[in-house]
Amino acid sequence: MSEGRRDLWVGLALLACAGVAPFALGDRYVLTQLTLFFIWGAVVTQWNLVLGIGGIFSLAQMALFACGAYGTAMLGYYLGWPLWLAMPASALLAVAASMLIGLACLRLKGPYVALLTLAIAQVIYLMIINDTDCFTTNEGGCMPLFGGARGIGRFGDLGFREMFGQRFVIANYAVALALLAFAFAFSVIVIRGPLGLAFRALRDNPGYAMSRGISQFRYQLWVFALSAFFTGLAGAVYAAQFKVVGPTIFSFTLLLFLLSMIVVGGVGSVWGPLVGAALLMLADEGFKEFQDWRALGMGLVLPLFVVLLPGGLVGLFKRWRSQKLASDGRPL
Amino acid sequence: MDVLVQIVASGLTLGAMYAVSTVGLSLVYGSLNMLNMAHGAILTIGGYAAYAVSQQLGWPAPLGFLAAIVVGALIGLLIFAAAARPLLKSRNFETNVFIATIGVGAVLENVVLKLFGPYAKPQPLNIPGGVRVGAVLIPYQNIAILGVAIAMMAIVALLLQRSRAGRAIRATAQNREAAELMGVHVHGVYAQVLALSGALAAVSGVMISSLATLSPTMGGDPMLKAFIICVVAGLGNTYGAVAAAMVIGLLEAATQYLLGVRFGFALLLLLVIAVLIWRPSGFFGKARIVRL
Repeated sequence: MSEGRRDLWVGLALLACAGVAPFALGDRYVLTQLTLFFIWGAVVTQWNLVLGIGGIFSLAQMALFACGAYGTAMLGYYLGWPLWLAMPASALLAVAASMLIGLACLRLKGPYVALLTLAIAQVIYLMIINDTDCFTTNEGGCMPLFGGARGIGRFGDLGFREMFGQRFVIANYAVALALLAFAFAFSVIVIRGPLGLAFRALRDNPGYAMSRGISQFRYQLWVFALSAFFTGLAGAVYAAQFKVVGPTIFSFTLLLFLLSMIVVGGVGSVWGPLVGAALLMLADEGFKEFQDWRALGMGLVLPLFVVLLPGGLVGLFKRWRSQKLASDGRPL
Repeated sequence: MDVLVQIVASGLTLGAMYAVSTVGLSLVYGSLNMLNMAHGAILTIGGYAAYAVSQQLGWPAPLGFLAAIVVGALIGLLIFAAAARPLLKSRNFETNVFIATIGVGAVLENVVLKLFGPYAKPQPLNIPGGVRVGAVLIPYQNIAILGVAIAMMAIVALLLQRSRAGRAIRATAQNREAAELMGVHVHGVYAQVLALSGALAAVSGVMISSLATLSPTMGGDPMLKAFIICVVAGLGNTYGAVAAAMVIGLLEAATQYLLGVRFGFALLLLLVIAVLIWRPSGFFGKARIVRL
């Protein structure tokens, strides 16, 4: 069975399980956590494309996510757009933003890209929280253009509460699940398709690939811009789900959390980011009692995995399987 | 006129502080090709070490300063042993060490948070009073910072140019394999470079906290600025980094004064992007021609 087909069947099976889950698990807390898992899962599958496939060390992922989230919130709040319209619009906004960032950064080499993207995200964050000029005033008093440190709320929702009553949690869950399904399918298409092939060629033999007309800059820009769509859409779903968007989504702890997911699962692999996201969210849940130690543990995870298990868990699994196949004497 | 004096005075102080922390980063990148994301945490720890010794133990201030240097160097060694050394052989050293040091930095920052609590504290290493130039009062603290920074730069330059260890560091930066073949113990050089960089970061942490306050997250912003300065100068170009630090310190003081604090950093970044579009490997960086 080809790898692409295997991914398809495993994905469909998981999707079916996830589709039935809300009716089997009645607990609202579990459903909300699962919804969050879908959102982070969508973000890390896209980040993995940029990081692991495109080889672009971008730390602006959360800034693109914020583009989607803030875009949705602001279109809803200021212009009164219905969220169904604001969400795809702000995802496109994220694409535009990533094109701009990409054009500025992708001409540079690895470490320069990492530093510049981190700086861009940080500047956006500082501009938002240091903004104290009133743009409008509402019931809460002064409201800066980007909501300042408090963030933006009351920008409408998807209307699930009216439609489904108490079952609106399930509707939110379904939206996030759909997001993850599409984002994941997109990542598989990129990894197994022509774009992935181009990057593999560039990695294995850059000289030959370039002389055959594969432009690294152009393909990197493609992957950077396209992955921004689902990242932005994830931000939009986040905004619709939590009904408030604040500068906390720029926090370094969150960036660390998401980066750890990819590293734990396996950078550049198809399933790694999802495995990592599931594991880390479970671990986070398990250590809830020890909130104080959360950031410390998260920090330890990164060097431990990079040093001891560079391929992540998926890499470990692949190694184990190829060893097993080899010892069974079967062809790989 | 007074405005100009004010801008130059605070710009030079800013630039001096940036220079001290940037030189460390730049040395590490130049010799190991390693972006040390735990640099900001060392900065914080340096500030707190000085605080712990001179405030909590009540020892004299110079000892606090020395303690910061020693602790910074030790943390640098720790980073070498825990993150850099085990990764040296890995295929994607640059990316891996970047990720690993992000984690190490988070751990160190949390240790500080656990030991000293989340609240901002004043740095006791502070000289009161100042000297008047026209209508502007320039605090002795700023002058001291400038003096210490110049002394530090001079020491580092002497070390690099005149000492045996410095020659080994430069040789390794130029060509690691050739240096190894000539009998340079490369791992030892790396450890020295990280220790030196840690000590410099700690000193700049003491300086920065003496003008602002101590807090567990104080290292993040200066680290990002130091990185930007490195990028503008060309990663790994140590002398360029000092020049760029001074220029950027002055520019930041000017924009903050003329446009307000909010836009200082943003304008800086725009400028950096413009420089990089014009010269992709930095202002003083040489474009490296890569043979495939």
